[in-house]
Amino acid sequence: MERERTGPPDDLTGWETQVRKGGLSLAVLAILWPDRLYGLEILKRLDAEAGMSIPEGTIYPLLNRMKTEGLVTSEWVEADAGHPRKYYRLTETGRRRVRDMAASWRTFAQGLERLLAPLEGGSR
Amino acid sequence: MSKDAAQAHLDTYLAQVHRHLRGLPDAEVRETLAELRSHVLDKVAGDFTVPRVEAAIAELGSPREVARVNVTERVIADLEESRSPLRVLRSVGRLASLSLYGTFAFLVSFLGYGSAAAFLVTALAKPFFWDKAGMWVYRDPTGDLNVSIGLTDAPQAHEVLGGWIIPIGLAAAVVLAWLTWRFGLFSLRLMGRRARRAR
Repeated sequence: MERERTGPPDDLTGWETQVRKGGLSLAVLAILWPDRLYGLEILKRLDAEAGMSIPEGTIYPLLNRMKTEGLVTSEWVEADAGHPRKYYRLTETGRRRVRDMAASWRTFAQGLERLLAPLEGGSR
Repeated sequence: MSKDAAQAHLDTYLAQVHRHLRGLPDAEVRETLAELRSHVLDKVAGDFTVPRVEAAIAELGSPREVARVNVTERVIADLEESRSPLRVLRSVGRLASLSLYGTFAFLVSFLGYGSAAAFLVTALAKPFFWDKAGMWVYRDPTGDLNVSIGLTDAPQAHEVLGGWIIPIGLAAAVVLAWLTWRFGLFSLRLMGRRARRAR
């Protein structure tokens, strides 16, 4: 009996992780498009809306890098929760960057979709 | 009581992160710690107890790991501004205590620049201290053969290059310094990739 080779499950998990990592910067910038958000809100929305669950301690260095690159600004705000929160918002440069990144992502995704179209029929 | 214990737990964690962040400017350290504190307080959502604080801290990562990704990200951002040998050496020094590879990279850099400096100083000193400066070969008391470079008064040492130490020393200093600088850059990029891979 011939077994169908699909590769070990870890290969697929690793590939999915790489794909998600590739889109992380775009996802964070896109989440900030409508409004300012603080770190934990960004993490929750990444998880809930894009299925991107990242180690929590790594979001702040990423946001700091974006700040250094002039893509976001930050401000401390006294919150109702009783402690200050650091909110991040897109700069004009950040808005231009996320639009460019989104356009590039869509072009890439559309090309891939065309390649994947024959798989929908299920026949070889 | 529980609130005090939770506060103490959080303070201890932040103090440990602080210790590992010593490579960053003070203002940046304060900002990072304040943001981590705010994150934990948001995470426990008013239920400020030891188990909730412990859980929030566990999701952030160990103090060393949190510090490592913060310092590495900062170092990589600094490198985009300048790649001068001094900046690269300082950056390697910042990461020395945060990982085994960081320690290795710092030791190699230290040895590389140290050797380059020794060749340079010897080459420059040769015209002024003709009999004392050079590359020396000698046997130690156990009979093993040793080679050293620099200034010496040891009567048993035998100089091997003579005046050639000037061009050879200058060339060796430049080559060693360049190789060490390139190795530092390579190491920083490698550690940067590893830190970003943690996401």
